[in-house]
Amino acid sequence: MNLSNKLLCSHCHLEFSEEVLIVDQTHYFCCKGCQGVFHLLSDEGLDSFYDKTANIKLSAPTTQYENSKNFNAPAFYDKFVKLNSDGTSSVSLIIEGIHCSACIWLNEKALNKMDGIIEADINFTNNKANIVWLDELLKLSDIVDMIRAVGYNAYPYDASLQEVHANNERKDYYLRMAVAIFASMNIMWIAVAQYAGFFSGMTQEIKTILNIAEGVLATPVLFYSGWIFFRGSFYGLKNKIVNMDLLVATGASLTYVYSIYITITEHGEAYFDSVSMIITFILIGKFLEVISKKNVADSLDIIGRHLPSEVNVLKDNKISSYKLEDVKIDDIIIVSSGERILLDGEILKGEGSFNESNLTGESVPVYKVVGESVISGTLSIDADINFRVSHDFEHSTLSNLVSLLENAISKKPKIEILANKLSEHFSSLVLVLAIVTFFVWWFWPHSFEESLMVGVSVIIIACPCALGLATPVATLVGLNLGAKKGILFKESEQLETMAKATTLLVDKTGTLTLGKPDVLRESIFDDFDKRLLYSLVKGSNHPISQGIFRFLKQENEPEEVIFDSFNQVAARGICAEYNNIKILGGNLQFMLDYGISSDLTSEHNLFFLAINKKIVAIYELGDTIKEGAISLVESLKRQDIETIMLTGDHEKSAQKVAKFIGINNVHAHLSPEDKLSFVQDLQKKGKVIVMVGDGVNDILALGAADISIAMGSGSEIAIDVGDVILLNDSLTSLLFAFKISSTTFSLIKQNFGISLVYNAVTIPLAMAGYIIPLIAALSMSLSSLLVVGNSLRIKYKWARS
Amino acid sequence: MDSWIVSMMLGASLFLGALALLAFLWAVKNGQFDDEEKFLNATKFDSVEDLNDAIDKERKKEDLKKQNYRPE
Repeated sequence: MNLSNKLLCSHCHLEFSEEVLIVDQTHYFCCKGCQGVFHLLSDEGLDSFYDKTANIKLSAPTTQYENSKNFNAPAFYDKFVKLNSDGTSSVSLIIEGIHCSACIWLNEKALNKMDGIIEADINFTNNKANIVWLDELLKLSDIVDMIRAVGYNAYPYDASLQEVHANNERKDYYLRMAVAIFASMNIMWIAVAQYAGFFSGMTQEIKTILNIAEGVLATPVLFYSGWIFFRGSFYGLKNKIVNMDLLVATGASLTYVYSIYITITEHGEAYFDSVSMIITFILIGKFLEVISKKNVADSLDIIGRHLPSEVNVLKDNKISSYKLEDVKIDDIIIVSSGERILLDGEILKGEGSFNESNLTGESVPVYKVVGESVISGTLSIDADINFRVSHDFEHSTLSNLVSLLENAISKKPKIEILANKLSEHFSSLVLVLAIVTFFVWWFWPHSFEESLMVGVSVIIIACPCALGLATPVATLVGLNLGAKKGILFKESEQLETMAKATTLLVDKTGTLTLGKPDVLRESIFDDFDKRLLYSLVKGSNHPISQGIFRFLKQENEPEEVIFDSFNQVAARGICAEYNNIKILGGNLQFMLDYGISSDLTSEHNLFFLAINKKIVAIYELGDTIKEGAISLVESLKRQDIETIMLTGDHEKSAQKVAKFIGINNVHAHLSPEDKLSFVQDLQKKGKVIVMVGDGVNDILALGAADISIAMGSGSEIAIDVGDVILLNDSLTSLLFAFKISSTTFSLIKQNFGISLVYNAVTIPLAMAGYIIPLIAALSMSLSSLLVVGNSLRIKYKWARS
Repeated sequence: MDSWIVSMMLGASLFLGALALLAFLWAVKNGQFDDEEKFLNATKFDSVEDLNDAIDKERKKEDLKKQNYRPE
């Protein structure tokens, strides 16, 4: 092919050779879709789009979209469209196919041009669109049609549930922190003047001016930024809990009132700097916690998002798409190869292999013929079938799994977090000590004023800054360490929970093993052309063929040949012809069908290759165990964590893997529900459980376990349910996850130690009335710095090793 | 030192600082920092036409508020 013949499509700018392009006046198009979009844009006067995308390659618009009228269904409106009080409707859409800012420009422009659209705003960063329109003028389907007409696709998402809430909370914290940090920084330089004056002497007049300036700055910090603590302590008291918020709120407001009193009476030292410092430091700590927390509401909406909501139903000799909920028992559903089965039923026509590993954990595909039942949630590998629905969606296996999962997640035990436990005791202790100090001083006897000052100074000096920062800073270090190794913790508290784990439950297929058959042994009886085998297996997507394909590719990738004929026989093998050579590849049954026999048997899957009716090679394939499995079990045993294997696969293959790895406790042939009850039984015995899995058959157990770890390559549902995701799927990173969590937990304990020792020294000093402002300010910053410094120390220690 | 000068300087600098802070808070509340990409990229496509579009959009919203938005 001559390169100079290559031309760019006028719309998508992809390169094609001249002969395949559609010529339209002076323009060239790669497909009807591009041509259509190009003309539409010219007609609408939007062709300046092409000036903006001069050097950008777009994807060609695809045409086979589902009918957009589905978007107008009442059920759909109920779920995704929000009615605003002023009579407009709004929807959130994710726009597919966006490459550059010009694409956004085009979409916004095209939408804003439509009558009835009030506002169309597309986020450049995540391609999410927010559209407000008048429903009496325009239907949602018209909007989606417009987006499709300009060459993109749109699908809705439910914004209210997920990020809107999280974003608002985050924004709220930003605002409060901005005020707190601004005020604290200004108070600090005023405080410098005050401390200098404390030693070198200054007139009471200047001192009062500085106090007033500090007081003005501290007021918004206490009442605006610090509002969170007042709210927190109110809810705490309502539930009869003395929490850290209460200590912060009482400490800060008592100090504030006391400082105002000092400013007015013009003697003594005001502590406005302490007020704003305490609030600012702890607010930052709280913010760190907020950003590393996942939204609980999210996990309950999980499965719905991953399921296609429509199926093809054959009715009156016509195929039409139906919503899952609308399919009735005895309807006939059409499934083609590569599609997921969404309803339970019985096969009426067609046969083929199904991947049921999702539900059963069995790694070998199951072959099904007419009359056998298909289960929802499984995947058709090469089967094109019609099946009769036996249960409606509400009662299907998949739907049952969803409701069980929601149940399991809501019952997930919450391990009490050290910080909460500690801060409760600490807060009550400090408050009691302050009151006792006040009364002791008062009855000693001292003046009421002086005793109050000493009592308040106890609360000020017991600044919980260090205590408030101890956990967030340590977990942030842990989360960072994990992220570098490809381990994602979704929530910071999980680090602590995982450090307390007593039992590790692992799934077999996909977790301990690779989950796909690999060539274990190659026996060649006669020389043959490797290219033939390579081309033979490349054309099939059966796991066994794929295994051999990977093996050949790794060894020495041969060239591909083009067969004269190629025919796949489901669950048997492949036969092909090339230059009058007849090539057969498949299982023993396939060979027998062609009158070839072999007496080789194996516990693994065998793939026979026959050329001209003579067996030339046999490949033995089996699921291989992942690297690091043995050392994982060993090192966990040393840490007193018991490893138990739970699998849906057969006893025999489970035992074999377990024996090799060194797991003594094996439970095979378990259904997803069995796994769930196994987890819950152990939890009743007081065990803290870490569950590792990757498939739909594990999600119930994952949902119930104290910590659930999902493999990054696992099913999306498992990843969403998982608390921890191992991005590189390796068992070494699982071990790392354990190490990181225990390191972080000991770091948290050290940080608490530091701040408690600090308090043990300073509180008695304060009770004895020895606290001067300089010590209060210095010790406050010093203790916080110690905690942060200690956390960074661990980070560098890890970075070096 | 004259304490009047101290208080005036404190007052003036805090006032100016507070103005800057308020501007920042206003920007955060208005979502100016929500979309860092748009923040940087939107300027590329600024033209007279786009400004007119923006005015049209505002007008549409205004009309809607008066409950008489009905396109011809």
